[in-house]
Amino acid sequence: MLTLLRTHRGRSVAWCILTTTLLLLSHIGFAQTPLTGTVSDAATGETLAGATLQIKGTTTGATTDGQGQYRINVPAGSTTLVVSFIGYQPLEIAIGNRSVVDAKLTSSDNALSEVVVVGYGVQNRRDVTTAIGSVRAKDLANQPVSSFDQAIAAKIAGVQVLQTSGAPGAALSVRVRGTGSISAGNDPLYVIDGIPLSRDTKFATGSTNTQFPDNPINVLSTINTDDIESIEVLKDASAAAIYGSRGSNGVVLLTTKRGKEGKTIISYDSYVGVQQVTKKLDLLNAYEYATLNAEGRNNAYLDRNPTGKITDPTSVRSSNPAWGSPSTVIPPQIVPYLNNTPGLTNTDWQDAIFRSAPIQNHTLSVSGGKDNVRFYVSGNYLDQRGVVINSGFKRYSARANLDIKSGRLSVGVNLNPTYAQHDLIKGEGPYLGEGVVGLALQIPPIWPVNNPDGSFNFDGNGWGYGTTSILNPVAIATQVSDKLSQLRLLSNVYAQYEIAKGLTYRLNVGVDVNSFQRDYFRPSTLEIRDAKGPSVPTAFSRAQQFVNWLVENTVNYNRSFGRHNFSALAGFTSQKDRRRANELTATNFPNDLVQTLNAGQVTSGSSDLQEWSLLSYLGRVQYDYDGKYLLSAAVRADGSSRFGANNRYGYFPSVSAGWNVSQESFLKSSTWLSDLKIRASYGSTGNFQIPNYGSVSLLNYQNYVLGAETVVSGLAPGNSANPNLRWEKTAMFDVGFDASFFRNRLTLTMDYYNANTSDLLLNVPVPRSSGFSTELQNIGKVNNQGIELTLGTRQQFGKLGWTASANIAGNRNTVRALGPTGDPIIVSGGVAGAQFITRIGEPIGQYWTMQYDGVFKSQAEVDAYPHTATTKPGDFRFIDTNGDKKIDFSSDRTTTGSYFPKFTFGFNTSFTFAGFDLAATVQGSQGSKILNLIRRYIYNEEGNGNQFRGALDRWQSEANPGDGLHNRANRLQTGSNGEISTWHIEDGSYVRIRTLTLGYSLPTPLLSTLHLSRARLYVSAQNPFTFTKYSGFNPEVSSRPDSALSPGEDYGTYPLPRTTSVGVNLSF
Amino acid sequence: MKNTYTSPLLRLLMVPIWVLGGVACQSNFLDLTPQSQPNAANFYRTANDFGNAVNGAYDAIQTSNQYGGDFNTLIEARADNFFDNDPSSNAGLRYNIDRFIEPTTNSVLRDTWGSLYTGINRTNLILDKIDAIEFDATLKARYKGEAQFVRALSYFNLVRLWGSVPLVLTAGTTADARTYVRNSVADIYAAIEKDLLAASTNLPATYTGTNVGRATSGAAKALLGKVYLTEKKFTEALPVLRDVVNSGTYKLLANPVDPFLVTNKNNAEIVFAVKFKKGGLEGHGLWYGTNIGNNIEPSLQAAYPAGDKRLALVQQIPVPSNVNVVPRKFYDEFSSANDVGNDFPVLRYADVLLMYAEALNETTYSAAGEALTSLNAVRTRAAAPAYTAAQLSAQATFRTAIINERRLELALENDRWFDLVRTGTAVDALKVVGITVPPNRLVYPIPQSEIDTYNNPTTFPQNPGY
Repeated sequence: MLTLLRTHRGRSVAWCILTTTLLLLSHIGFAQTPLTGTVSDAATGETLAGATLQIKGTTTGATTDGQGQYRINVPAGSTTLVVSFIGYQPLEIAIGNRSVVDAKLTSSDNALSEVVVVGYGVQNRRDVTTAIGSVRAKDLANQPVSSFDQAIAAKIAGVQVLQTSGAPGAALSVRVRGTGSISAGNDPLYVIDGIPLSRDTKFATGSTNTQFPDNPINVLSTINTDDIESIEVLKDASAAAIYGSRGSNGVVLLTTKRGKEGKTIISYDSYVGVQQVTKKLDLLNAYEYATLNAEGRNNAYLDRNPTGKITDPTSVRSSNPAWGSPSTVIPPQIVPYLNNTPGLTNTDWQDAIFRSAPIQNHTLSVSGGKDNVRFYVSGNYLDQRGVVINSGFKRYSARANLDIKSGRLSVGVNLNPTYAQHDLIKGEGPYLGEGVVGLALQIPPIWPVNNPDGSFNFDGNGWGYGTTSILNPVAIATQVSDKLSQLRLLSNVYAQYEIAKGLTYRLNVGVDVNSFQRDYFRPSTLEIRDAKGPSVPTAFSRAQQFVNWLVENTVNYNRSFGRHNFSALAGFTSQKDRRRANELTATNFPNDLVQTLNAGQVTSGSSDLQEWSLLSYLGRVQYDYDGKYLLSAAVRADGSSRFGANNRYGYFPSVSAGWNVSQESFLKSSTWLSDLKIRASYGSTGNFQIPNYGSVSLLNYQNYVLGAETVVSGLAPGNSANPNLRWEKTAMFDVGFDASFFRNRLTLTMDYYNANTSDLLLNVPVPRSSGFSTELQNIGKVNNQGIELTLGTRQQFGKLGWTASANIAGNRNTVRALGPTGDPIIVSGGVAGAQFITRIGEPIGQYWTMQYDGVFKSQAEVDAYPHTATTKPGDFRFIDTNGDKKIDFSSDRTTTGSYFPKFTFGFNTSFTFAGFDLAATVQGSQGSKILNLIRRYIYNEEGNGNQFRGALDRWQSEANPGDGLHNRANRLQTGSNGEISTWHIEDGSYVRIRTLTLGYSLPTPLLSTLHLSRARLYVSAQNPFTFTKYSGFNPEVSSRPDSALSPGEDYGTYPLPRTTSVGVNLSF
Repeated sequence: MKNTYTSPLLRLLMVPIWVLGGVACQSNFLDLTPQSQPNAANFYRTANDFGNAVNGAYDAIQTSNQYGGDFNTLIEARADNFFDNDPSSNAGLRYNIDRFIEPTTNSVLRDTWGSLYTGINRTNLILDKIDAIEFDATLKARYKGEAQFVRALSYFNLVRLWGSVPLVLTAGTTADARTYVRNSVADIYAAIEKDLLAASTNLPATYTGTNVGRATSGAAKALLGKVYLTEKKFTEALPVLRDVVNSGTYKLLANPVDPFLVTNKNNAEIVFAVKFKKGGLEGHGLWYGTNIGNNIEPSLQAAYPAGDKRLALVQQIPVPSNVNVVPRKFYDEFSSANDVGNDFPVLRYADVLLMYAEALNETTYSAAGEALTSLNAVRTRAAAPAYTAAQLSAQATFRTAIINERRLELALENDRWFDLVRTGTAVDALKVVGITVPPNRLVYPIPQSEIDTYNNPTTFPQNPGY
């Protein structure tokens, strides 16, 4: 031992001493009497492997072996054995004088009896003193979704799952208890079978457009939902503190299924379905569009030539350059429509890009165990075509989880190779970024999809007459080839050794290898905006590889002294991530035949290598007295390469306490109260998602041109250095209780939390005279506080079973400090005027726009109220908020809402009756606002792109002012109606039926005839109904889900699908 | 009880702990330096570093916030040569500048201000650090001269656009920047003059090969001449401009169209140009291009005398396979990367001749002297009728003729607004094209973001009237 110590240098000495101490402790033994027995399922008689046994009032415990047998030493004076197992009601058995005690467990859905996974260990729900939400395998089943995060929506109070894009395989936005960070990301940490994943992969696939970024793909969709046993969300800082500098945004722990000793079970789970868009927007038809177009041109002409007449022909209108030609002449293409010629082209572009798309998913798994070897092996195939043409997602995955036990040693391996293939289309963004959905909304219905010869029609591009060039969305969607593949190997091996009674050492080595390849080709058959005819093809090929490895050494120790029960955890972990990226772009392909880059001329290339590392020490002590008084304390020290040289290590401590009130004698006999636990916690966590080299001043390549067109290398600093840069800190206080009443028929959980995030990482605006616009600094504070409530019930009325669970959560986000001077941060969204403000005393990223107040119906109204220099009757009335009798687009801006909902809620219910089961999940959000920026184009009355049907209620004259909300048609806008205002902001509240499932399980006699152990058929509908006032496709939309400062913008988005599917669950 | 340490299995298990633990415990495990991006801490150490830094300084003036595009809005659209007829796009972002109704939050103002200081910071870093490093003295002088030229040009644009601005001559930290104040216009001009005087001795007269296009001593002098004219220091302007004229380095090309041809870059008429190359990385968008109708002021086109070859340069012509039109002066065909690559002429020999004529007229007016020769050299090259001494029989008439000639010759080359302001003719000229210029709007508002960052009306006030 001493030799080993000497060979070990530096910081590791602390670890070595710790280990030694714990190893030595294990020498101490106590006299005990042995107890043995078998644990089995009360209904089936099947023996249960891995069930937990505990001597009540102590932490002395054991687990059952492959035959369901156990052996446990009963300390003197102990009388009761507690048997528990995931999915079963715990059982307390008096030991008496027996030396053999068998236990039959009844399966249960009672949450309080569950074993929950906490970081680096498991705990009985009854003993948990922190805020942890759980979702079990059965709650994830039946949902035709490609990733587990979609399936946990509405299941856990305070966990908001937003599907910002409906594209197959697109990333979701998951927020645990609000938004704490402005720049460092708000995604929770995902830990899969003990491997904390790197968030960096999320941005691996890049974007085709920097101004209007793609919704990132969901790198978590490599995980097959059918493989998941349970999901735990560590919500409070005390629970998350064991993950230290990565715990601030909550931690999602995923546990996959493992084999159970006994009969080998072969299961087949499958569904096939069809998806359609949940809604279409109500737009003008070609005749209405043409009328609006002409009216806009006439109005613009008369503005400039007040003596003109709308009958003036083109020759007159274009005779004076001051009269606005060509925007004020009537294009010949719309004249037939104005004459109401029947049978003209009248394209519904939404129908042209949307489709009914199939989805299918198949999982075949084999699990079982015998003689100390347990296994779970599965294969999965998922094929989801997108509701927008030419988009889709496919997954091929396999999993092998193997556990081997040999005496005191357990070893195991989890292997999860996945290949995922995304057929991408540009779903997000307006016409400028070639966003397919945005284009389809905007392109005039007077153009056909195809020319008579079958080629794509591009008349919307370069139409002239002062119109904006709009490309054909069907052509963009179908002709651009954008393929992305992800190859992932997520695996770990562990070895666990019981050094002595109650003392186990565990070594866990994991690796997450991700390889992304994206190939994009834009063929010559597509025109380029404003340029007619075939284009020069362009292409890029982008590869990124991530290798993330982890080594964890942990020691667990459990001891009981009478009614005092202790358990301790100590650990040392190291993790490193290495990212390699290469990209080439090419052009000048001779044709579209060969689309790999060798056919073209490579125009640019880039290569990048980045790394981060993390070195951590962790410890946790849990104590309880007689199961009544619970206390837990944990600390993690994290050192990271990302932190500045002056702040290498961060320390994240936490404490929590609980009181099982119902265990007290004065309540033990209560008939109405089954369980009551009051708990409180306080902890500190961090957010280490700062740039890999953020503390260093990096030079950017800033090249110049000299001589005869020679590009010469230039270098200039891109940012200033900050050696003090460090992690963001969150300190959270949580108080709550878990109660159940009437023999667990009714359960209630409530939490209040208050979280203060400090040292907020901000790109602080600095005087531009410094040469920089911002500097990354740890400055600023944000507070999140909220209440979460979950109410559940479980009832049996004869043969009818009913369960219901409702949760509601409200979070209030308040900025407490910003920057050195406390100035608000104002950023722009998709367009300069779409501003968001973050300022002290208010939530992050509120809309900061003008307030719109209908239109001026007459000249008298214009004269009576402040207006812009160009305002005419029919233009927008903006509110003079500062009352200076002037309309000024900087000083009259005001806060006009927030994307944050006031509260979110979920409701899950199920009914069972004689083999039938019916389940529903409802999700809702109240009080959020959405900046629907696509209205800039499809609700501007310019007669340029197509418009919402509401445009028919526009102002036309003082005598015919429309509904007073819609401005005058005008090709050359007056009155700055396009300035972003509350005209573009809508209520984003919604209630969505997320899933509806009806299933039928075959009765046992029939099963045995078919040689099946289980057979269930079901039909399911995903997103069947959404109730909202929002005029866009999806009220969960957010164009930049990862930009906390500017959330909630809709600038063209991929709609959510409504999926109708049929499925089977078979077990042999 | 059995001693657990003697268990062979456990011993075996200890091996990976120490091995893997040991790997992680290496003291440099957490010290990861950037692999793919150079680091400022170890830069500015060799001659090569400074060469790259100087190229980076030129890059700043090449961005779309300066000569790459926004100057066209701030200097030409603001004046009476070109107008923006698009009140819809970006809520009239550029239209508002054209019509003198831009708010202080206008992002063109913010970005151009920021870009100018980005360039100044790059030159300050060079000039701060270069003296401490030993390398070839000639090369070092040249690098310093180039940095001084870029810095002077940046301040000259800043002071003309905004008036009093912070004068930053050494690179400071962002904390230092919070203490900057708006220095007086006189101080800024003094610093510009000092830089250009130094640059004119530090810089060579000409370059060869891939160095062609860098700032020369002639460029420094020509720019200094323009600075003096702007300050109305005509006596000082005369000798430096005479140096450029007499250097013999530059000449007028035979046809006024030729200096602008993309096939004829680095020609003898170019004193200094910001250089571009199309193909995606170093190109630019169409300058003055439009698809929504004419945007060249008819009054400009009408001002050319009959037969003047320069009229064609300010007429718009279509770009092949594109819906936009562009003035012939900046005509180029799109590359496959959808950009074009004209050079932007900052100083041209025709400009120098007109400045020289102006300096002569203001110092030693003579109707038939060298001033008239210079003025007529520019006119006759374009086939415009030469002025006679009788036509320009007074200093004031001569002055007007020069200003008019500058408009015709240098249209769209980012001189017009500055010429109107420095000669006090902006309000009258804009009246002709139907725009009333509020008297305070001869300088732009300080970008609101900058006012907000300083938040100190005493040391960092907004310009009057905004």
